[in-house]
Amino acid sequence: MHWEEVRDKFRIWREDNSRHSEEVVDLWVNYLQSQKHKLGDEQWMVEEQVFIAGLDCGRLDVADQCFIALSKQFPGSVRVLKLKGMRLETLERHEDALTIYDAIIREDETNSTARKRKVAVLKSQGRIQEAIKELIEYLSKFMSDGEAWQELADFYIKEGDYGKAAYCMEELILQNPHNHLYYTRYAEIKYTQGGAENLELARNYFSMAIKLNPINIRAYYGLIVSCSSSITSSKLTSSKKKEIQKLSDWAQKKLTQRYEEEKSKSIKMDKLQESLNSLCITDKSCSS
Amino acid sequence: MGVFVYKIICLIGLFSLLHTGYSAAEYRATLRVIEQEYSSLPSDILLQGLISLIVMMYGVLYSVGDFKEIRATIQLENKSWETAGNRPSFYSFCHRGRNLCATSLTTLKYNKTSLSNDFDSYES
Repeated sequence: MHWEEVRDKFRIWREDNSRHSEEVVDLWVNYLQSQKHKLGDEQWMVEEQVFIAGLDCGRLDVADQCFIALSKQFPGSVRVLKLKGMRLETLERHEDALTIYDAIIREDETNSTARKRKVAVLKSQGRIQEAIKELIEYLSKFMSDGEAWQELADFYIKEGDYGKAAYCMEELILQNPHNHLYYTRYAEIKYTQGGAENLELARNYFSMAIKLNPINIRAYYGLIVSCSSSITSSKLTSSKKKEIQKLSDWAQKKLTQRYEEEKSKSIKMDKLQESLNSLCITDKSCSS
Repeated sequence: MGVFVYKIICLIGLFSLLHTGYSAAEYRATLRVIEQEYSSLPSDILLQGLISLIVMMYGVLYSVGDFKEIRATIQLENKSWETAGNRPSFYSFCHRGRNLCATSLTTLKYNKTSLSNDFDSYES
């Protein structure tokens, strides 16, 4: 693998917020580390990424090298100080980490990442109630932070407080009305809550998610399960039942269609592979 | 086949439009020769210009290919909750990852004893 490919891959992962920690460490050690001076200014972002990935898989040897490089480059930087706090978290020295974060916040009251790290510390200590309190306080100051709303929703789901979790998802939908994933999530929470009204809401939101993204398979499945659980309720009128049945049938049809499509695609791929194989002179050269 | 027909239509429109321009120029040249005042182009040239423009537009629209729908969610289409629900600022590092990574256990021990002291002294 060429180092430029690795760099592009890292860039995509950074932009997508995907975790991939093990791969990051692996690729860094094997391909990119020796070429890091070629990265230019991007080097420091990559070093930070690798540092966090290193902490995530417990590869402190890799992480420390990055940390030393970063703190040489940016002495006295708050962002690097935050990374030091994260390293302490990995060593389970939570109190020390909290002192660092508090120091950062004292120095710069608008620093949102340190506040979020404080919540993360409480979470990894298992003090969910306190984490929720801290996060609510954070959100009263930075209320446009979608990431924090998601986190709060997850906390409430963990605690089984679905009503409040649904409220957080509503907030996210308001912020980002085109994101089908939030609709799906909201519908799932409503489905979990149960009850005729909530199931109806769940059906509507699953449908909205499908409307926004017709290949959202999870929403199709959600629609089917929420239809089938509301159809058993005895309070429904027969016309309503028929309507729900129709909706469920439609979702099932769509799902089967989608699977058929994928199947025919893979058959096509098989055929392509066969014809490629027949083109080969030796059998071994294209066994892949 | 269909695209070819539309391309022909487009070409006809183009030629007709060029012809209109040429006739307009000729008309004005003639006016100058017979020494008459120019007020406006005759209606047949105007009509030809308008019709050929519409014909050309029709040809172009159908020959360049299909229209694409403008979707607000096109970037989100292939995202799943796995990446959209991943929140780097709230990562917690006390999880099974450090035990699952092959070399991690030894490095953790090594770090906790020897390196962390050096590390702290380096930082301060």
